[in-house]
Amino acid sequence: MKISPPRWADRFLEWYCHPALLEEIQGDAYELFYRTAKVNERKAKLSFIWNVLRFFRWKNIKKRKPNQENNILHAAMLKNILTVSLRNFSRYPGHSFINVTGLAAGFTCAFLILLWVSHEYSFDQFHNDKERLYKVLTHVDANGTIQTYDVAGNNMDVSTVPEVESITRISSGNRWPHELCFRPEDEPNECIYFNGIYSNETLFSNFNFPILSGDPSPLSKPAQIAISEKMAQTLYASQNPIGKTIKIDDTREVVIASVFKDIPGQSSIQFDFALPFDILKKQWGIDDNMLAQQFFNIYLKTKSPVDTKTLSEKLNNEQVISAAYKAQKIKYEAYAFPDWHLKSKFENGRNSGGRIEYVTLFIIIGTLVMLMAVINFVNMATARAALRAKEIGIRKVTGAYRGSLIVQFMGEAFFIVFVAFVISALVTQLVLPFFNQLIGEPLTLNLLSNKMPLYLAGGLILIALMAGFYPALIISSFQPATILKGQLSNATTGSLRLRKVLMVVQLSASVGIIIFGSILYRQLDFITQTNLGFDRSNTIRLEPTFTLLKNYDAFKNDLLGNPVIESVGASDSNPLNAGGGNVGVSWQGKSPDLRVSFKTIGCFYDFPQTIGLELLEGNNFRADRQIRDSLATEVLISKKAASMMGFDNPVGEKITIGDVACEVVGVVNDFHTASLHTEIEPVILYRKQIYYVSAIYIKYQPGMAQQAQEIVNSAYKKIEPTFTMKYWFQDETFHELYKTEILASRLVLIFSIMALVIAIIGITGLATFNVMRKTKEIGIRRVFGASITEVLGVLFKEFSWVLLFAVAVSAPLAWYSSNQWLNGFAYRTAIPWWVFAVTIAGAGLLILIIIWLQGRKTIGTNPTQVLRSE
Amino acid sequence: MKGTYLGELEELVLLTVGILYPEAYGVAVMDEIEKQAGRSLNISAVHAVLTRLEEKGFLKSKMSDPTEERGGRRKRIFLLTAAGKRALEEANELRTQLFNQIPKMALQFRLA
Repeated sequence: MKISPPRWADRFLEWYCHPALLEEIQGDAYELFYRTAKVNERKAKLSFIWNVLRFFRWKNIKKRKPNQENNILHAAMLKNILTVSLRNFSRYPGHSFINVTGLAAGFTCAFLILLWVSHEYSFDQFHNDKERLYKVLTHVDANGTIQTYDVAGNNMDVSTVPEVESITRISSGNRWPHELCFRPEDEPNECIYFNGIYSNETLFSNFNFPILSGDPSPLSKPAQIAISEKMAQTLYASQNPIGKTIKIDDTREVVIASVFKDIPGQSSIQFDFALPFDILKKQWGIDDNMLAQQFFNIYLKTKSPVDTKTLSEKLNNEQVISAAYKAQKIKYEAYAFPDWHLKSKFENGRNSGGRIEYVTLFIIIGTLVMLMAVINFVNMATARAALRAKEIGIRKVTGAYRGSLIVQFMGEAFFIVFVAFVISALVTQLVLPFFNQLIGEPLTLNLLSNKMPLYLAGGLILIALMAGFYPALIISSFQPATILKGQLSNATTGSLRLRKVLMVVQLSASVGIIIFGSILYRQLDFITQTNLGFDRSNTIRLEPTFTLLKNYDAFKNDLLGNPVIESVGASDSNPLNAGGGNVGVSWQGKSPDLRVSFKTIGCFYDFPQTIGLELLEGNNFRADRQIRDSLATEVLISKKAASMMGFDNPVGEKITIGDVACEVVGVVNDFHTASLHTEIEPVILYRKQIYYVSAIYIKYQPGMAQQAQEIVNSAYKKIEPTFTMKYWFQDETFHELYKTEILASRLVLIFSIMALVIAIIGITGLATFNVMRKTKEIGIRRVFGASITEVLGVLFKEFSWVLLFAVAVSAPLAWYSSNQWLNGFAYRTAIPWWVFAVTIAGAGLLILIIIWLQGRKTIGTNPTQVLRSE
Repeated sequence: MKGTYLGELEELVLLTVGILYPEAYGVAVMDEIEKQAGRSLNISAVHAVLTRLEEKGFLKSKMSDPTEERGGRRKRIFLLTAAGKRALEEANELRTQLFNQIPKMALQFRLA
């Protein structure tokens, strides 16, 4: 049994000691150690440690030789290094190409994601003093759960809150009177729709919507309008619109007081024109009192940034919120405006993320993809190192210092990274238009804006360092003697383990992304397939003008005369997204403090049939016109509503909505009135006068969309010759609801493919190298009679462990994260096990195929040829 | 006698190297000094002195063959140079010279 001195002390000595002196110093220490160890082992060890410490003198410590630097920068050497690099590049064009492509792909992904993410983050950040802007939200306590709305009461009185400097009220919407038709000056028979808002005079001062010309505060006087550049251009071409009069709805005259700069895409407040509330009152025919009872988007500007909690508390003061609302358990909350776009999801009164979840998701995916590309590069470079061993050996023998070798290889890596960078910048620029179309947002590759060049340069250097460092280290540590003698395998085993680890990371990232993506896709599929309870396809939704409503019967008959049109109906809410909720419903047997929210849809008698609601009990609405000017007595309730109200025999029951008495005439099946994120709510359909509906729904025969649209248009024109028809296809609206999910799924699909491509590249590279390395082994096996399949099996075995590990890591992660995401939906698919199985099997199969492709040639060659080269 | 002052320990080590010819190296010098002068030095101190003496030109060194007891490592063997020999002689001479100049009275220590 050989006693040896303490390992750590020995290593410490080796580390600090000057190499020339190491041998004698270490020798002396060892000699003393063995001598003492014969007598007393412990003492020997202690003495050794003591000696090592005592040897730690200035003279003995390694010193960097200053003259080493000079060798690196000789001009002749540079030329040689360059030539060799280029030669290497072209000698293995396949490898080099794969390297560059892999990196470029990773970079492109990272670029695109970076662009999108910075676009999202930049929303609403362009306002001056943005940290002093707050949005007021309303929480309504409806029997246990809290519903949050992004509007607040117009009667809010902030004069008692000293921190608040000013308040901006904005009324916005998608239909009349926010969507108005304006006639261009030179074409009085055309009218173009623009969307705008009604606001008070602080709009342009609180927010950064610069006014280009005209009155700097256009909303402070009544009967004035401010329009955007785009609107001015469309309506007045190159003429100056300031001071001109324009008509709203062909009746009201307002003066164009100012033109403001087009609202940038990154603003959550969008509008093409702004009108004062005066006009709104006239449009709706209401007085100040009723205006105060409305709920609008309210923004506060404070004198200096305040804590949102304190501000919210102050807002809930009776003087601010009004005693009436407070009694109805309504609460206000102040939310920091710049954060709103990304974090607008509320669950039960608490902020629970929103768009930011997707942003985070994509940052993660982008980083993963980039990481994989870099790992690929590192793998390939280390693998290729073995091929350049002879060159390195000779360089070292002829006197290259380790440092200069490191610089050489890092330089090569840098060069490749740079080339990949430039290529991907170009590719990104090319691909950007398609990408924009895909995600529906206008992104521009602005490489010279803000601090982008800084970030890009920093990123480039970092990646080049990361990618080049490890291979350079490995390569330059080769011992010339072993290389030139041909005993290479030792040097590569250490890096082999690392390479396997890197491969595991890559594979798990790919597998994880693919699994997650598939589940995402399935959920989307599920959403689109789920029966909403009513017909949403083959339906046109038309926004009627007042004249149209007056002539509704004529219009309807005209349409129904054509066999393409199946039915026509009207209502005041789109069943796809019937907003709001009515808590003022009461019925016999309702306990007084029970607060339940119903979706109340006011409609014309023909509506339920048009959208295909199934009648479960009782009768539909009577098909005669309602003459009384109030909520009609006839109501249809959904099954859930019936059970909520505790009716065994709903038909004939009396309920009240607000203060109007109604009678239940029938029960319809439950149907969704919002996206599948939320549970189905109880619905009450009540009859409404035709003049108060907001849309007409026209159902046509499947596949006849084009004709249906023409028919409706011509019928429309008969009644309203000078107005352009405003219509939508319900299908498109449906897709709008899930815009974010659809966007996310498309992006995930793209990035899954990229991840797959990069993984394939990685596997190909490794497989090729493996085969080359094992040429002799394969030859010998063949000599001993192994069949091709058996040899393949041997090659595959190396990868199988890697695959197993990767799966073990990624499968649980993918399952967990997709579960979390699916929980955001009230209705979701189950996570099927077969997705996991297929992905894993697919990965295994892919590896097998690649190995086979690469190894085919080698395995097929005559073993004698291979072994002869020994 | 210019600029080549020999410290007390340096002189000791230099003498020991001479004694141990031709196998004078770190551990041997340390052992010999302990045996002859009874001073137990740390091996690193001995090394430092040997290196300093070599820098001053009093010693020259060469590497020996590898030996088993040191795990195959070679020893650095030190040999006296001509300058080293002269330094030793001068130092010795000076000491004897000075000692002989001390009057008899200074060396009397009997009780009187």
